[in-house]
Amino acid sequence: MAMSTPSSLYYLFGVIMLAVAAYCLTLLTLSLATNRPAGRDVEISHIFMGVAMAGMFVGQWAFGRNAVWELIFGVLLVWFVVQSIQSIRQYGLHLPHALIHAIMNFAMLLMYWYPMGSSSASGAMSMSSGGPKLDPGLAFVVAFILFASAVFTLASPNKGASHFGSHAPAWAVVGTSGTDAEHHDAAAGSSAALRIEQAMATPSLVDVSHVVMCVGMGFMLLLMT
Amino acid sequence: MTITEVKEASTARAVLAASERRRPLASRPPRDLQRTFQLVLATIWLLDAVLQLQPFMFTRGANGFSGMLTNLAAGNPSWFHRVVTWNASIVYHQPILTDAAFAGIQFLIAFGIIYKRTLKPALVLSIVWAIGVWWFGESAGEIFQGRATPFGGGPGGVLFYAVLAVLLWPSDGSDKPFVAARTVGVTVAKAVWVVVWGLLAVLALAGSGRSPQALHDLIAGVNNGQPGWLARIDRSSESLFLHHGTTIAILLAIVCVVVASGVFMPPQIAQITVVLAIVVFALIWIAVQNFGGILAGGATDPNSGLLVMFLALIYWPLTTDRATPSADSAPLVLETKED
Repeated sequence: MAMSTPSSLYYLFGVIMLAVAAYCLTLLTLSLATNRPAGRDVEISHIFMGVAMAGMFVGQWAFGRNAVWELIFGVLLVWFVVQSIQSIRQYGLHLPHALIHAIMNFAMLLMYWYPMGSSSASGAMSMSSGGPKLDPGLAFVVAFILFASAVFTLASPNKGASHFGSHAPAWAVVGTSGTDAEHHDAAAGSSAALRIEQAMATPSLVDVSHVVMCVGMGFMLLLMT
Repeated sequence: MTITEVKEASTARAVLAASERRRPLASRPPRDLQRTFQLVLATIWLLDAVLQLQPFMFTRGANGFSGMLTNLAAGNPSWFHRVVTWNASIVYHQPILTDAAFAGIQFLIAFGIIYKRTLKPALVLSIVWAIGVWWFGESAGEIFQGRATPFGGGPGGVLFYAVLAVLLWPSDGSDKPFVAARTVGVTVAKAVWVVVWGLLAVLALAGSGRSPQALHDLIAGVNNGQPGWLARIDRSSESLFLHHGTTIAILLAIVCVVVASGVFMPPQIAQITVVLAIVVFALIWIAVQNFGGILAGGATDPNSGLLVMFLALIYWPLTTDRATPSADSAPLVLETKED
């Protein structure tokens, strides 16, 4: 029997992924306009993830060669791993903020290395359904980590750290969550951009964008099992 | 607020942030363990909610969610058989609507637990939902069929969500002697522990729990579609159960009794029994329950193994006092919008 998952569910996830990408693109643009350097790496990462994930949920929306996407997420993975190592060297052994972004980029690589079969709503990903299959155990572990990140991000008192974390452990920079700590380099940038950024880059919104991305990626990984 | 004021405030925050980052790190503040466990529970509910969105859940027929529910009805007394098939028929006729509703409720529970304002209603909802799913969706843990062995998830994995919700009900106070006692008190928490492990011991020996063939069939029934490494583990455990099933069931019952009594022992011995419980149920979760079937893409939840381990963790004896961090010591949060 053919899968009867309502295709609207995949379209819904696809649209949400694109919305997160658009939101992060706006944040990135605003950060360039206001010369706020913090969080750009996460925003760039989320833009690529949002666009790529939308293409996985809705095959018709996929574009670009897989090798290019693998290169992008490979570079981002290395970047966030380096950030994590630097954080550990600076602050001692802890779970660095950048680590979850490294895991997210690793998850993206897994999705490209092991495209799922025709059970997906995605036409693009179904092209190589005969290829090697992602180990469901690995997919489950990564998905569970992403769900945990979503939950603990929403519950964290360090709001906004999912985007603008200083890569220091949260308990070391209490009261300096990204949007407060590094978000407003007020000496530069246009006043209009600053006002828009005030409205757009609220800690709760940036956390929600991270949470949505985590849930969407976790769902896709579970679909691949 | 004028633009100048915004800029000044922002600059001040940036300076503060820079000085904070250069500040030598103080010792890590004590973690509110009850809150941490609540969030782990929310994570598991989130996993369940997403599992509910899998394609087969929306599928009508024998291969779908309604088929799974119908299969659970077999072997029950006729009155309960009708209850289960009634529920399955509703899902059969409205698979998309019912499954979307089921997923929505679980998302609601997961995200409700995250926020302190909605924590209590979410925990209440989780208890009601868990009991409902246990009755209608898990065929009362197969107790009426005599198949409710702990190896297979008896008395019903979803019941543990309700137990965890009660034991993790929010309250201030000390996590000593263990987190589970923080709200309900030491006596009630110990009673819950003894009842749970006593029930697991009984179910290990009652009904088909001690039958080698039934346990062998239990594993054979879940190993379809598992990854290679897990299928190899399954073949080993199938063989083990076929030849030593009764002995293993008796051993599990003994372990359950030992674990049940551990809560009355000195902390060091109690810790050993908790470790024993976690190790045994980790083995069961992997080698018998196959992670609840998640890796084969046909699960609605991770089954009881994970939750029993989680339950054991909240009974971990704490040798040092860990008072709940007070509001004064809670991390300061600067909300940009409120400035």
